[in-house]
Order: sequence, then C-alpha cells, then structure tokens
Amino acid sequence: MTLRTEEFVVNMGPHHPSTHGVCRLLLTLDGERVKKVEPIIGYLHRAIEKICENRTYPQCIPILDRFEYVTAMSCNYVFSLAAERLAQIEVPERAEYLRVIMLELNRIASHLLFYGVTAMDIGAYTPFLYGLRERELIIDLFEMTCGQRLTYNYIRIGGVSQDIPPEFAPKCREAVRIIGEKMSDYEGLLNENPIWLARTKGIGILKPEDAIAWGVSGPVLRASGVKHDLRRDDPYSIYDRFDFDIPVQPNGDTFDRYIQRLDEIRESLKIITQALDGLEGLEDNTIKAKVSPNFKPPAGEVYARIENSRGELGVYVISDGSKKPLRVKARGGSYNQLQALPLMCHDVMVADLVAIFATLDVIMPEVDR
Amino acid sequence: MTREELTQHIIGKFGGRVIHLEAGKYDPLFEIKAEDIVDICRQLKEDPYLSFDYLANLGGVDTTEHFEVVYNLASVFKKLRVDLKVILPYDRAEIDSVIEVWPSANWYERELWELYGINVRNHPNLTRFLLPDDWDQGYPMRKDWDAPDFIRMPER
Amino acid sequence: MGVIRKLPAMAERIPGGGIVLTSIEAILHQGQAKSLWYLLFGTACCAIELMCTGASRYDFDRLGMIFRPTPRQADLIIVAGTITKKMAPRLRRLYDQMAEPRYVIAMGGCTIKGGPFYYDSYAVEKGIDHIVPVDVYIPGCPPRPESLLEGCIHLQERIKKQKLSDWADGRK
Repeated sequence: MTLRTEEFVVNMGPHHPSTHGVCRLLLTLDGERVKKVEPIIGYLHRAIEKICENRTYPQCIPILDRFEYVTAMSCNYVFSLAAERLAQIEVPERAEYLRVIMLELNRIASHLLFYGVTAMDIGAYTPFLYGLRERELIIDLFEMTCGQRLTYNYIRIGGVSQDIPPEFAPKCREAVRIIGEKMSDYEGLLNENPIWLARTKGIGILKPEDAIAWGVSGPVLRASGVKHDLRRDDPYSIYDRFDFDIPVQPNGDTFDRYIQRLDEIRESLKIITQALDGLEGLEDNTIKAKVSPNFKPPAGEVYARIENSRGELGVYVISDGSKKPLRVKARGGSYNQLQALPLMCHDVMVADLVAIFATLDVIMPEVDR
Repeated sequence: MTREELTQHIIGKFGGRVIHLEAGKYDPLFEIKAEDIVDICRQLKEDPYLSFDYLANLGGVDTTEHFEVVYNLASVFKKLRVDLKVILPYDRAEIDSVIEVWPSANWYERELWELYGINVRNHPNLTRFLLPDDWDQGYPMRKDWDAPDFIRMPER
Repeated sequence: MGVIRKLPAMAERIPGGGIVLTSIEAILHQGQAKSLWYLLFGTACCAIELMCTGASRYDFDRLGMIFRPTPRQADLIIVAGTITKKMAPRLRRLYDQMAEPRYVIAMGGCTIKGGPFYYDSYAVEKGIDHIVPVDVYIPGCPPRPESLLEGCIHLQERIKKQKLSDWADGRK
C-alpha cells in the first residue's frame, strides 16, 4: 500500500518571534522539508526616500538614522560622506578619528546583538543575556558623548557634532579590555557545543559565485570565502592608517557565518585601540569644518558606500543645486541577502530554515525602507 | 586603473554608444540609450580588464522633466566603480530587464515598476510588494503624486 | 511581599486557622497586575529598546512580565514600532485573538501620532488609537528603558483601580 502525500503551503506570518522584524515567508512544505520559500516584504515600508526629498540636507540625517537603527552611526556617516563628496568639503583630522571610533564601536554593538538574538532563535537563552550585558557598556559610551542610546544624529556634514568628554578615553579602553576578555566566554558557550554544531554545521551553504551574482556583501560574503571588505578595497575616511586583518571562512554554511562575526569583533577591538592612541597625539581640536547653515552643494550625483556590519550600505544622492536633495536612494545589505534566501534553502527542514534566517542577520527597515 | 584610465577604456570600447557626463562627482558616469542597456551591461561584465560582476544599486529618479534609471556597478576583484544612466521620456517609460546579467536586479526592478510606473520588459514577476495589497492610488514616488491623507511638511 | 509575610500570623489568630478575609478585587488585582505576560510585538527601532529592557540591566522579570510568542497566552501587547497601512489589519487580528482582560501599551512616538513619519509619508498609519484601544502612551523616540518600566508601573496602578462592577456591566 503506497502512502499518498501532497505538498501544502504554510504561512510563517509577519508576526513571528524569529523573523527579526516583520517578514512574511510563504513556505511550500512536503512533510517537514521545505520545497520553496518566498519572502514577502513591505510591512515596514515607511517611505523614507519620499520624506528625504522634502527635507534639507542636515534634516535628512535623523531620518536616515531610522533606516538602519542598529548601526545608526553608519547611516549618518554614509549620507555625510555623500554630501562631502558633492561639495568637496575637507573634514578635520580629529573628527575623522572620532568617526572611526564611533563606527567601530557601533559594529561591535551590532555583532553582540546578533550573537544574542541568533542564539535565542536556535534555542539557547543564556547568550542573549551575556551579549546584551556587554552591549550596555558600549551604549553607555554613546550616551556619554551624544545623549542618545539608539538613534544618534552625531556624525554631521563636515565633522561630528560634539567632542568627547575627558572620561571617554579611559572608559573606552576599559570596555575594550572587558569585551576582549569575555570573547572567550562567548566562544566557550557555543563553539564546541554538540547541539549547536549539529544545528549549524553543513546547513545552508552559499557558494561564492552565487553570492557575488546575487549581490551579497559583508560578513555573509566573507563567510563564503571571498576576501572583499570595502574598508580595504574602496577606502573611505582614514582606514588606510590602521593595521587590521580581514578574516574569511572556507565553507559558507551557518556555522561559518556565526564564527565570522565573532572574528570581526576582535578586529574592531584592534582598530579602536589604535584610533584612541592616534587621538592622543593630535594638537588641533576642531571637530567640524565650516559648513553654512543653508547647505547647498553644487549640482551633481554621487554614490557613497561603506562597509556596515550587515553588508554594503550605500546612498545615491542627486543634487540640483538647491538646499533639498532631488533624490536619495538608500540601499542596505539585507535587501540582497533576503533575495538570496531561497538559494540556501533547498530541501532543509523548517528548524534549519530558522537557523539560516537567523545567521543572515536581516533587519527589516533596511529591506523595506 | 585610475578614474581617467577607466573612462578612456570605456569610451574606447563603446565609442558613440556612451556619453560621458560631468555630473558624476566621484566615479565616472555615462549616459546610455534604453535599447543598448542589456548589451552594454553584458559586455561590461564579460570584459576581462573590467569584470563588473556586482550590481550595487538600481534606482529610478523623477526629475520634473523626464524619468531616469541609474545603475551603480562595481567589480569585486578589480576594485573598480562605474555608474550608468538611462533617460526615459514620460510617455514612453519602458526598459529591458538586466536580470539575465545580474540576478540581484530582481527586486530592484520590481520596486521601480511599483513606485514609479516604469514598465520593465522580460521580468519574471512584476507584482506588488512594498505597498498594501489593495493600493489603488497610483505611483507614489512621482513628483506630481498627491492623495487626500498625504500631509506635506510646511515650509518655514 | 508584605502581605505574604503577614499572612501566617493573621491566619493563626483567627480561631480555626487557615481563613483569610479580604475582598475579591484585592486578590484579582494582585494576580493581574503583578504577572502581566506581554506579547512580543516589535516592528522597528523601539523593539531594540524593548529587548534591552528585557535583558540583564533593566529587567522586566522583576515586575513579573515575561514575553510570550503567541497572543493566546498573553494579556498585554506592547506595540513597539511604526505601524504601516499594510500591517494594521494584522495588528487588529492579533488584538482580537487575545483573551480578556487585555491591555495595550503604545510605545514610542510612531504609535502615538506617527512620530517622525507624520509628514510626507504615504504608507504610515498616523497613530494606533483608531485601530486598537490604548491604555498607556509612552512618548520618546525611542523611549529609554526607564520610561518603559515607568509606563508598565502606571499600567499596574491603573489595573489596581479597576472595580468588579466595570466587568459585570460589560463596560470594559
């Protein structure tokens, strides 16, 4: 007697504890195996690009903060970079050092949040508390500088808005030291755990040529073996003065994407230490170039892109010579990674799909804007 | 390859089919006709000196006189960058899809159709995805779009 | 804690022991207010502050609040993040699936009146109070964890002021 089976469609709805925001996945299942995945987005489409067309250049910066709120410093920075390239503004050196310190601290905070939330999706609850405890140290540093915990509006066109207080540098060094010591705790919890290895090794492999064709960037691309980092290949700010490695992983599966981000935390700690040393030797204290309050860049177009903790964050700005931009098109790394999700989900089980989705580290406002 | 060498290489390769624009302030910007776009993109990807295998961004623009579609390309291994632009008049807003050159253009072109109304030929799945399912108020990113509950920020 | 410590002494002084006299409302208020289980509903930036409030430094568990992934087991929904026109029917459906008594906290500027997306946005619902009835509004963009904790304590005070007669007439 043969058993008759048929495929059925299940909705993993916009409200789900492990869809990192509001993403809807239509799964076609055969038993427990996933045959087809279709992501449906748009539940957080807030029309950020239409808003930016009716704001002046400095007013666009807090709006773009909400575009990628976990690394809001990067969003501020990429728009300021585009405006500075349009108007050929020279940024003072102290401001560049401060920007690098803030960007790298933000990258570490984002990867710690990833560590906590991914472990919680796969079933481990303790790393969530550990990761967020260290993230609070970094958030304290941001609050000391600019007063906000999540959406900063700190990096402005021509420099930064405020200088750091004198107690910032010793506290930052202390935070770097504590996080460096706790990394062995994080790795000791999960790296050799047999349950974690069984759930993540060999699952959801992404080949390098597929990754480049589908426009994937950031830690997901480097975990598939392609050594491409915009801080080295298309350098911006003063990253060419610092000495850091670019780790890559060989296989491209879920475990490699998780290990890749922990390795990147270590490299960021090195950059912050070197930047704090460089900051001490500066005599000039200007933190912002002279930019007129009615900022009107000359007519032109520019595409600025930086290496964010989720991939390539890019902004295409068109200026027509007035004080409001004609078009701001923002692009985040999660958009392409979500498009490439069906490639990694051939014939996996539903629980593996949750693990793959967690290590892609997708943030929905970056996808929907 | 520096920016000037890249500009000269592309002009030498395509001749009169590309027009170099001065508006690109940081990377070279070229204007292309709508019929040539798929062919030029394929040649840019397969050229061994350039190998533009990564489509970074694809967006639509509504200057108040015409539509434009902008392609931002990058090369992962040769570390180069170039921008392409196609100008479309309002009454003939149609363009071919570049999905056979770069599969990542899928959702970018769908968004172009949904928010601007530019028709993309040869696209496998042009359906609504960012706006609500029962949206019937037109193409919102156009400059002349308006709706009863759309509140504009007052000028100061 | 004071009630629990005093209880055995009161119980022993009453002849026959083991009987405590109080009003039904006091027991119901203790039960409802001190163990509100909230639905994890975070769409945008305020969701990160909600997660931070539930983590180690600002702890939600000391107020008796644990997150639940399904609306059938929750009696509080903290709406954290912008609600767009596409998401609004889903929020209403989640609210309808919760069992009574149920409460709603609107967290952040976007849920009060649209927040920074009030002007020039074609797809944002400007406030959630025409979708679900709201009990407590918490302003901020995003509000600090201390504000969120204060909002929850306000809700607990509000629950303690409710009377049984409200429920009997079906007014709630």
